[in-house]
Amino acid sequence: MTDRNDKKIERRQFLSRAAKAGISIAAAGVISAGLYDSRGPKAAVDAGTPVTLPNFSMPPKDGQTICIVRGSERKASVAKAIELLGGMERFVKKGDIVAIKPNVAFASSSLLGATTHPELVAEVVRLAYKAGAKQVIVTDNPINDPASCFTLTGIGKAAGDAGAKVILPRPDLFRQTTLSGGMLIVNWPIFYGPFAKADKLIGIAPIKHHHRSGASMTMKNWYGLLGGRRNVFHQDINTIIAELAIMVKPTLVILDGTVVMVTNGPTGGSVSDLKRADTLIASTDCIAADSFGCTLLGLKPSDLPYLAKAQNAGAGTADYQSLKPIFAAAG
Amino acid sequence: MDSASSRSKRLESAISIFLLAILFLIGFAVFIKQFDFDMGRFGMNTAAPLLSLQGSDTGIGAKLSFDSLVPSGFKKLSEAEIYVPETLYEKIDGKATLYIESGFVKLFTQRFVNQNDDTLWFEVFLFDMALARNAFSVYSVQKRADAETYPAMQFAYRTGNALYFVRDRFYVELVGSAESADLLKAVGDVANRLTGPPFLLSQESRGGKVTEIPELALFPQENIVAGSAKLYLSDVFGFDGFRDTFVCQYKAGEEFVTAFLSKRPNSQEARNIADSYYKFLIENGGKAKPTSDERLAAVEGKVLDFYGVTEIIFAIGPYIAGVHEAKNQQSAEKLAAQLIGKLSDPAPTTKND
Repeated sequence: MTDRNDKKIERRQFLSRAAKAGISIAAAGVISAGLYDSRGPKAAVDAGTPVTLPNFSMPPKDGQTICIVRGSERKASVAKAIELLGGMERFVKKGDIVAIKPNVAFASSSLLGATTHPELVAEVVRLAYKAGAKQVIVTDNPINDPASCFTLTGIGKAAGDAGAKVILPRPDLFRQTTLSGGMLIVNWPIFYGPFAKADKLIGIAPIKHHHRSGASMTMKNWYGLLGGRRNVFHQDINTIIAELAIMVKPTLVILDGTVVMVTNGPTGGSVSDLKRADTLIASTDCIAADSFGCTLLGLKPSDLPYLAKAQNAGAGTADYQSLKPIFAAAG
Repeated sequence: MDSASSRSKRLESAISIFLLAILFLIGFAVFIKQFDFDMGRFGMNTAAPLLSLQGSDTGIGAKLSFDSLVPSGFKKLSEAEIYVPETLYEKIDGKATLYIESGFVKLFTQRFVNQNDDTLWFEVFLFDMALARNAFSVYSVQKRADAETYPAMQFAYRTGNALYFVRDRFYVELVGSAESADLLKAVGDVANRLTGPPFLLSQESRGGKVTEIPELALFPQENIVAGSAKLYLSDVFGFDGFRDTFVCQYKAGEEFVTAFLSKRPNSQEARNIADSYYKFLIENGGKAKPTSDERLAAVEGKVLDFYGVTEIIFAIGPYIAGVHEAKNQQSAEKLAAQLIGKLSDPAPTTKND
């Protein structure tokens, strides 16, 4: 290099080299400009204008926040629990559009307890219509082939037979949202479409052991609202469940402990993973419902950090006893 | 000339440093920006495209066609699906981490339905776990307590609606939609076909070898609870230092006692981990107890009372071993002595489940 630098070059040579260098730089610039995408990577769908889920909650009623019913028949248990909380008419007004969010996460048989029991979904649909609902929507966002999940769980047919409109996820039903003060739900796509025009929201979930979070109940059930590669949140499962409980303000939640999955959750797979607990909880407070529900798995509320996180954020109370729960038998 | 050359060198050096500094700044900016990665903008598809079974690059695709597995009276309910670590959560959600942390490579699934009753269907889950011990680990830690041994296979059990087994590096679940004799028969047929020629899972295709988990042969067989062996790959007994640890249960009168062992690369590491585990227990409330057992004393075994239960830890050669949460010290020491005997003179055993 030094030798070359020591040589004098002709003016013609200098101009020639300078021209070649200039052309090379210009070519690189043109190619780069052609490849440059000023908008960055595109989402798979148009996420549209950021949204916030409506607040579906109802004013609290002292002594009618949580009801725990013992019974082996789901239909009778849920009817009794809702009746003791003031009846479905307390929650659903004439002409309401009611969205029901069961857990339809897996394409597995209802026998296995990994998803909400179809009989329970059908009964809640029936009660909502009886209370005057104009339309009842049943929807969830299972990642794995939603059509198979709704078919093989029996939820699609049960809901349809009861008169509900079943909505499967489609790309145009997702919108971006950000939870105010949230750490994880920031510019994240959520399954929003079915809930946009709903007046009321009812969550229905089974009680399951969960390999990652310890337990999957009504709060974890909102995980189905998340779009995108939501598995990234498994790394901070307690925070995402707490944030979901803060983000989603349902009218009512129903937690089915008639049969609970005590091991190998959340998928289970064997009837050996199940235990009869013959208990059903209905509540306007997700955290209270889950705090009682976890006891059916042999856990204490303090074993599930997401309960305290959500409680500290003001989303409800883990001290379900303070809500003076109604205990009853389905009869 | 020298002066001009010197100026030129300095200029070259300055330009080089300048360019390197710019490259460094670009690299630094990329490094910082990656922490602000917006995951929400990616992957909004609700399902990844399915891969072709025949196009699989694991080598199993060519030998495994689910078409030839269809049992009598059944038909395929859906197309075969394949999942890789990045997409496994789409199939099994929160349980994906259990498999991925255990060496998961691929999952093949296929559903079959009864031709006369569409409520009777089952799904085959074929997990490629890379190694037999990985497959055994996910099999054993999920093993159902009331499982019924499936004698036709080495590591296998069935429940009211399902059959589970390990064959070489594959962990297989056949999960039925109902507790039905017809369904269980079909499930058994598929299991037999999967493990028979010409499939990759067949013994013949693997040179006649059985699935080998050598450590299981090191556990004493007297009073062992059949099928109780488990392999935990990490965070065993709440202690970070334990990994690749086998446990077996034993009946001691009316009680159950758990023995454990883990093989480390060398005796020094085994000794260090045994010492660390002992300190861990002491720091968390354990209290050292004397022992009169000569075999235990000979290997410098440690006995502790840990909130009312007995813990024993020792190291022999590359093995860390001991007894966990025994209600009775005498039973614990007896089992520990048997384990010491096996580890001191390990005789090959083929019956290990």
